[in-house]
Amino acid sequence: MYRIRFHGRGGQGVKTAGRVLGSAFFADGFEAQDAPRYGAERRGAPIFASVRAARAPIAERGPIRQPDLVVVADESLVPVAAAGVLDGIGPHSTLLIRSAETPDTWRERLRATGPLLVLAAQAGDHEAARFLGVACAAAAARLVGVISRASLEQALRAEVAEFGALAVAQSLEHAMAAWEAMAPHAGAVAEGVEPRADTLAAPAWIDLPFEPATVSAPSVHGTATSVQVRTGLWRTMRPVIDHERCHRCTWICTTFCPDAAIGVDAQGAPAIDYDHCKGCLVCVAVCPPHAIRAVPERDAERGASAPAAP
Amino acid sequence: MSESRFRRMNDLPSTHLLGAGTAMCAGCGGLQAVQEIYDVLGEKTVFVNAAGCMTLLSTYPFTPFRGSWLYTAMACAPAGAQGVRDALDLLIAKKRLPPEEDLDVVVLSGDGAAYGMGLSSTSAAIDRGLDFLYLCYDNEGYGNTGQQASAATPHAAATAGCGARAGHAGQKKDLFAIWAANRPSYVATAIGAEPLDLARKIEKARSLRGPRLILVLAPCPTGWDFDPAEMVEIGRLAVATGVWPLKEWEAGRVVHTKVRRPRLPVEEYLRRQGRFRHLFEPVRNEAALAEIQAGVDAYWAGVS
Amino acid sequence: MSRLLLTGNAAAAWGARLAQVDYVPAFPITPQTEIIETLGRWIDAGELAARLVLLESEHSMVTAAAAAAATGVRAFTATSSQGLLYAMEMIFTVPGWRAPFVLVNVSRGLATPITLEPDHSDVLAARDSGFLQLHCATSQEVLDSVLIAHRWTEDPRVRLPAIVNLDGFHLSFTREPVELPDAAAAARFLPPFDPENVRFRASRPVSQAVAVLGGGPYSYFRYEIHRAAESALAVYDEVAGAFASACGRLWPAVETHRAEDAEVVFFLIGSFATKARDAVDRLRAAGVPVGLVRPRLLRPYPVEAIRRALRGKRAVAVVDQNLSMGKGGVLHAELASALYGEPDAPRVLASFIGGLGGRDIALEEFREMAQIAARAAADGRSPAPRLLYTEGELREVRKLQGIAQAERDDLARGGSEP
Repeated sequence: MYRIRFHGRGGQGVKTAGRVLGSAFFADGFEAQDAPRYGAERRGAPIFASVRAARAPIAERGPIRQPDLVVVADESLVPVAAAGVLDGIGPHSTLLIRSAETPDTWRERLRATGPLLVLAAQAGDHEAARFLGVACAAAAARLVGVISRASLEQALRAEVAEFGALAVAQSLEHAMAAWEAMAPHAGAVAEGVEPRADTLAAPAWIDLPFEPATVSAPSVHGTATSVQVRTGLWRTMRPVIDHERCHRCTWICTTFCPDAAIGVDAQGAPAIDYDHCKGCLVCVAVCPPHAIRAVPERDAERGASAPAAP
Repeated sequence: MSESRFRRMNDLPSTHLLGAGTAMCAGCGGLQAVQEIYDVLGEKTVFVNAAGCMTLLSTYPFTPFRGSWLYTAMACAPAGAQGVRDALDLLIAKKRLPPEEDLDVVVLSGDGAAYGMGLSSTSAAIDRGLDFLYLCYDNEGYGNTGQQASAATPHAAATAGCGARAGHAGQKKDLFAIWAANRPSYVATAIGAEPLDLARKIEKARSLRGPRLILVLAPCPTGWDFDPAEMVEIGRLAVATGVWPLKEWEAGRVVHTKVRRPRLPVEEYLRRQGRFRHLFEPVRNEAALAEIQAGVDAYWAGVS
Repeated sequence: MSRLLLTGNAAAAWGARLAQVDYVPAFPITPQTEIIETLGRWIDAGELAARLVLLESEHSMVTAAAAAAATGVRAFTATSSQGLLYAMEMIFTVPGWRAPFVLVNVSRGLATPITLEPDHSDVLAARDSGFLQLHCATSQEVLDSVLIAHRWTEDPRVRLPAIVNLDGFHLSFTREPVELPDAAAAARFLPPFDPENVRFRASRPVSQAVAVLGGGPYSYFRYEIHRAAESALAVYDEVAGAFASACGRLWPAVETHRAEDAEVVFFLIGSFATKARDAVDRLRAAGVPVGLVRPRLLRPYPVEAIRRALRGKRAVAVVDQNLSMGKGGVLHAELASALYGEPDAPRVLASFIGGLGGRDIALEEFREMAQIAARAAADGRSPAPRLLYTEGELREVRKLQGIAQAERDDLARGGSEP
């Protein structure tokens, strides 16, 4: 059985990726199973999709614990523990990350022991964001090596049709580019070793004891604990304030930020809380002197756009 | 409004009470309004929530509130508010709670519950004269499940499961009028894009007792299909085209708090949103656009 | 102490009064309306310092009761049948708030067809919800059980709401002697409401009943409700003991009558158990070694007490006044699961469905059930489940059907137009 996981954010087409790959396997005569998994449905929130494919009917279901291939559409998810990108990755698992950085950089960063590949992303190419999913599906299809180009195309047309002819054409373009990019590694991903029942470790079951309602009720005795959730990790574009243009009206950006992610610093200047800013860019749109501009998150992290000091 | 402490934009707070880090979509018009509202209402509140997008404001162990919160179910938040309000009154009357521990009770509801399933419990709470504030963030559909049509969905809007071709066949229900007909203490429409108007109305509502509705149009990037950065601009257009009148009801009188003349054509508002794209592409649906404009014109013709 | 004739409804109201409840959200439904009317009268007369609020539906009523309990007051409410069903979303939701309160259910058969008369299909539909369940057979028991339930639910080892069930008509509207505990004894037994962790106040903000994402955390919170319900078994015995000390009556989790040396026992809940008790006495007088086992707690299910009571018996005639469509009697199924694999468990469990919609169970029917159970014990095989229903009753239904269908049959035969 092939066991493949896709990781991305809501809005990047990860669910579609799973369906495209599942349909492509199915078209080529495999038994296939695909499923998305997300928490709250939100644009920007981490989601993943699983795909299983085999020659025999598939009884297994649920999260894939031992993936043969993990495809990461959005590299910013790798450090996000809750996204579970690296869960179950073993020496047999191939990790494919869409990134502008090199495989060596990633190998070093993650101390990866198994195969690690990169699907090259152009720095600053944001139009491609919508098509991340289908590109990843195509890359995955090439890597498993048992899916024909024709079946991939057929699957893609079927899954994207509801978004219109233009979307289909653009999706095909991005997908086939990824298909070609993976040519040197065609067939590199093989079916995994099947789990054996005789080598399983015992589950660490416990007897859950009675605990008083003071702790066992779903109540939060604390104020604003939400600030511990770094929704800043949702961001793909970052707003940056140019303090030389800022008039310090100090109410427009702070009022219109939906997430209360703009405050005022000790000098009375607006300050963006990058731990929580989701990158909606409302502040960019509403600032009267246009003192806020949007910078791609990757570029910002590399310090290519350090804000001018207030 | 002359006694309001919100006279100029600078009177609005720069730092906010509601914690960041919630799971609302980037650019959520509802959350933006709730931020402002919470700043004025403060932390001596208990928000009683009806099922909707904002159910997920608090997910264990994270809550953005500095005051209190109770999640009920979709149809019954006003009944939950009744229980909390009555219990607080009882405790204080029986001297089991000092008066300074009192809280204002606020129902937080999306349009799905407010315009539909929750009407029964809402109407009855008004009948009983319940002292509570009812805050409805109206994104014109069942947002949490993917934007199916609700009774708040405007005519011709595309929704999940309905009509990239013709859009919603129904008309937006008039919740303002329904509340007014129930004779509460106060009803107001507002929008986050007009923050001073909103702040003054919250301040006004806070000074009153009894059942009070604040109905806030919540531009929704995910459900209405527009770039999150445009959330405020779309809100401004809703007001400038006259699609979303800003008004108050009190003791049988309706007062419009912001009247734009001349109004922008409704097209300016509609064409920015993907949910109305079918009215413009592949060809303009002149009849539908004229019908929508006529509806807005008719409303304002009745406003002096 | 004074001894009065009280209906079950009046007894329930007295229980709430002696418990000095603070808050009564209410909605009328036959056959419980008398409870809230009585409380309303007392409140108007200044005899009970509580607030009664009419909500617009039972769904809202249960929400208001739980929300008030979650704010820190002692809440009490009552419903029946269709009303309990209307509230079901919240019946399942509010136990997880871990805010204690008491709901009296006056059991009544469920639609369809709609009826006003009693059976237990309504209250048993709530058995999975997290509400504890106490089942009463007499008006005295109703009053005492309301007091017991308030203390029981408020115990920190429990903190779950409870349903106290009494049968419509046979108990709700039937007067019988009840000893009223005096107010001082009741107040000693039941101290003032302690909100503990559950409350709303300005100085201690709290977000209650929040959503949970993930199967691991969800499983924790759900299973803890179950653990609290289990914990309530031992707490019940303590509370019942304390009540006995305060008011002189002991209400065990499982009541038995002449069961120790019985070969066959009847097993049923509610007010028809008094009929069974009467039948046991008469059958004993005729030489038949029968007894009665009457569970009073159904949630938590008093497994050990039931096993003990039935150990060594040859046969159990389970009388279910309820019906799980497509499976059969609920008490029977739960009993079978409790006894499976137990050494010395009765060989035979005979399932009888009786009393649906208040259908009476006659003395000869109790005798017949005992005989069937005894014969089956001799054979060693449980008989097929049986609905208690007579030839005469079916004849009666045919007559009614005849009337209901007459015109249609007439037309079908080509008869004259009306």
